[in-house]
Amino acid sequence: MEGFIFTFYAHSEIYSFILKFCLFMHNQVLTDNTYQKFEEQFKEFSQATALTRPEKARKMMGQIDLLIDSTEGLKFIFQNITGLSKAGIFEGSPWADPSKLVASLVNGTLKSGHPNSTIEILSELRLLAIAKGKLEFKGTSPFDAENFIQEVIVANLEFVFNEPLEETRLVMSGHELKKVHTLFKFIAEKTELDNVKEKLVEELTLICEQRPVVTEKQRKIIALVKEKIELDPKNELDARLLRFQRCIYRPTINSANKDYQEYKKLLEDLSKDQLREESAEMSRAMLSFGLVSQYQSVLIIFLIQNGHKELIPLALGLSEAGTARWNEFREFISNLILKTIHPYNAQCIYGLAKMLESGIFSREAVRSGLANMLTIKVHPDVEARILKSTKTPHEKISALQYLMGALFRVLGQPLGVGQGNNPTCQSARGISMWSQHAPAKLIHLVQTAATYNDLTFRFEAQEIKSSEVGLGLVQNLDHNLDAVSVTLVPMLDKVYNEMMLRASGRGEDPHKWVNPALYGQWIQIGFASAYDYLSNAIVDFDGFISVFYAMCHPEYNGGYRLIYPNPVGIFITSAKGDMLGFHAVSLLRVDIDLKGIYRAYFLNPNNEGRQDWGQGIKPSVYGNGELYGESSLPLQEFAARIYAFHYNTLEAADKMNNVPDVEIQKIKKLAKESWGRSYTWLEIKKLW
Amino acid sequence: MAKCFALMGWSLPVIESMQKLNKPYVVVSFPDFEGYAKENNIPFVSYQFNEWSDTSNSLDLFEKLKAYDVDVAVPLFEETVEWAGALNSIYRGDPRVLNRAFLFRNKAMMKRKALIGGLRVGLFEEVYNKEGVKNFMKRLNQANLQIEGEQDSWVHIKPFASAGTVGHRLLKSIQDIEDKCQESDFPCLAESHLPGTEFSCEAFIHGGKIRFLNITEYVKLGYSNFIPEGHHLHTKRDKIMKEMQKLVDLFGIEYGMIHPEWFLTENDELSFGEVACRIPGGHILELAGKAYDFDALGAFVLCHDPNLSEEELKEILPPLDARPKQFYGNVMIYPHKDVINKLEIPDELKEESYFLDHNLIPPYTNQKINSREGFGNHFGTVNFKGEDPDRMTELLLHYENVDFYQ
Repeated sequence: MEGFIFTFYAHSEIYSFILKFCLFMHNQVLTDNTYQKFEEQFKEFSQATALTRPEKARKMMGQIDLLIDSTEGLKFIFQNITGLSKAGIFEGSPWADPSKLVASLVNGTLKSGHPNSTIEILSELRLLAIAKGKLEFKGTSPFDAENFIQEVIVANLEFVFNEPLEETRLVMSGHELKKVHTLFKFIAEKTELDNVKEKLVEELTLICEQRPVVTEKQRKIIALVKEKIELDPKNELDARLLRFQRCIYRPTINSANKDYQEYKKLLEDLSKDQLREESAEMSRAMLSFGLVSQYQSVLIIFLIQNGHKELIPLALGLSEAGTARWNEFREFISNLILKTIHPYNAQCIYGLAKMLESGIFSREAVRSGLANMLTIKVHPDVEARILKSTKTPHEKISALQYLMGALFRVLGQPLGVGQGNNPTCQSARGISMWSQHAPAKLIHLVQTAATYNDLTFRFEAQEIKSSEVGLGLVQNLDHNLDAVSVTLVPMLDKVYNEMMLRASGRGEDPHKWVNPALYGQWIQIGFASAYDYLSNAIVDFDGFISVFYAMCHPEYNGGYRLIYPNPVGIFITSAKGDMLGFHAVSLLRVDIDLKGIYRAYFLNPNNEGRQDWGQGIKPSVYGNGELYGESSLPLQEFAARIYAFHYNTLEAADKMNNVPDVEIQKIKKLAKESWGRSYTWLEIKKLW
Repeated sequence: MAKCFALMGWSLPVIESMQKLNKPYVVVSFPDFEGYAKENNIPFVSYQFNEWSDTSNSLDLFEKLKAYDVDVAVPLFEETVEWAGALNSIYRGDPRVLNRAFLFRNKAMMKRKALIGGLRVGLFEEVYNKEGVKNFMKRLNQANLQIEGEQDSWVHIKPFASAGTVGHRLLKSIQDIEDKCQESDFPCLAESHLPGTEFSCEAFIHGGKIRFLNITEYVKLGYSNFIPEGHHLHTKRDKIMKEMQKLVDLFGIEYGMIHPEWFLTENDELSFGEVACRIPGGHILELAGKAYDFDALGAFVLCHDPNLSEEELKEILPPLDARPKQFYGNVMIYPHKDVINKLEIPDELKEESYFLDHNLIPPYTNQKINSREGFGNHFGTVNFKGEDPDRMTELLLHYENVDFYQ
């Protein structure tokens, strides 16, 4: 018994010694009076009235900013986060209520520098305190907080692994990078990484299921996981991450532990049968997530150059229809492949495969256009944009090659076209639509734009030349785009804006005239808008929804299917259902899903798989019958967010009365209780 | 005890002090602030200080303030000094209170008054154009017995009625006059350069007597200062006190606070620079409040009240002979480049034990810096605190030249 008591004391002494030692260490890293200064300022801040509080908070933030670029300082602030939060450091700021924060905005805020980045970091520390039960906050449970933090970690892997993207490096100072990296090191240590693995799988699935044209994001995540996280194939979650990894780094058994040059040598020793197997294995890897490895380009070029063209359909994973088209245009496409594809320009193989499946090679105009493309000289400005959009341009690949590759991808994956971080949903929507329904027109636009760095459009019998009109919506193009988009978007955007200017002041939404002029004759002439310019109100929403259902709902439109994408204007709402702004999508089709409900399948050019529009309205990107690249929602929920669409005026008149009032009222309720709160509603009837 | 103070000008820290002291007040300022005042329950009378007409004048304002039972007006900013003077002359039934306010607002008149009273001042003159300044400099050169090839005598020009360093130019040669002077500078005051260490005093006056005197040591005009005064200046405190009381008597100041600038030569002679009677710039009262641990802004306002009791005075002001142990100083930071992108706090500052805090604002991308008017707009202040005034001086001089903006 005595012995027991002795050891107990001994332990507690050691413990207190360690504590003292830790405090001593603190003082060495932080200057001696750091704590005292913090206390002094904290006192001043908490005693200030509302009048001078903002100024005192600014000073306090200035000091916190300096403290948190070391782990010691960050820990110190974390220990004080409860006090800071209770003293109101977040009050009156967008960070006031943690339940209203949006995880996907954290990255941008961290990059925007002090003071925003400082308060953002404080906000993460507060959530961590909530998650750990150190702080209680009404409306945010520890579970919510933990989830939020995991989402933030997943969306900020560049900081977790301290491998900032090039643009991040450009916009952030060394001090800011240190601050943010210190934060993520700190929270990553305190968060179960296994849960993050699950989010990584989810994130990768959400991205890959959309089969985007630009694959930088998922490649970056896969590369980071490969480098920084040990994976155990026996663990199920790890195995799923490994599947992603293998698509890029080891698509076939033969490619294991070889670079693509060694792999090429190996191919020379394979028999015909072995090549056949290799081809099948390779295309399976590609089709699983739409990601192409360097090895596949080596294989395809090898097959063409060594008399194995009959294996190409297998190596591209083509169906019978695709194979038939390959056989028909074999020489033409072989030539395209040899002039375009390279281990550093390999992703376009997936697009090429999809082009063969969709059959656009059967169009004479498309083949002529592609043949023309091979001969153009790219304008130096366009060349600069293309090379800027290519993360690591390879010296042996020309801008034209990248452009051709991007053209394969856009033509093969029309629904994978995205706008990047640009307010150019209109242009992205156009590129996607032409790619589906007017591929030769698109190729010709690209050819003109790439050669002359200029485009002309007709608007109401007048010519609009992009080089002669004013600015577009985007002044600083975000170059995280495909080469076709960086070629076209700056010009399309200017043309679109000019059309909007010319059509404004007519007392109606200019899109009524601009959409058909910009996109072409595929757009219906009729235009319905819920918003009335003259009365500045939502007028006859009942009628508006009747026309919408009469246009697209198979039960009321005579069972017809939609033919061309319909450019639809939607209200973007927050997770709370509050009005945030406007956005352009294309309604592609309306179908019954697996659960038997009518869904709207649409193209959302922002490629965001994780959306919450409030009222439980969350567009999905897979699992509800979506084709790759489609988003979907129950039709009724989609209808509750639209404000404008096109329709056939001749058809609508006799069909709109089919729509039962009870359906309309359901939609109206959702609309009125969300974005509708920002508008006046008038119930007078309109003639549609 | 005043029934109600009219605070002439908008200052949140002053309003906060009044609320904390629980003293009756009303803010008089431009209509722009009315909304904020209403939202925050701040008694407010909106007035266009920059308009003087049949409907906008001190008698009209006097009528408007009756509703609040105002009996003391307190000028917070240079531009409200005459307004407060006019009101106080009505409240105290003494027309000369207004005349004194004019004295503070005209630097030439101020100097003449000082000269008459036997204070040491430089040579000065009202000038109306570049030629006037050139002639002034030439006469100064003559008086200084300039020999061919020697430097010209330095001349300062200052607008008659601007606060602090606004519009202040130092001219070191005839060429300088040609290059730096603008048409819009004139008319103005030209004066000879006063040698010596510059410092300011903040004298809280009640009943014509100095009740508390703060001395602020200027490390570099327009950049940095600290409180209380360093060791050398401190040994001159009695002498300074005497000259200060002389100034108060001469100007006939009875209530409020004055903020004169002085120069101390190596021969221990004091020259008078200029004097103001509003809240000084450079965060001086903030530093004084911290160093002496008192509500300097509250004291500033209360001293204007003729009915303030001796007890109340004692309560609000530090003792006349107080000498704090800690020195508080600050340096104002200006960008050194024409285009700036980033704010970078140097590590040496973070590790400096005297460093207290800063409120520097990060720039936006490619922010262009406008040419500096006076000393221009600083981008924030860095505050220091420590026990050794010499170390403080060193730090302030050093950080004035550190480029925080890249």
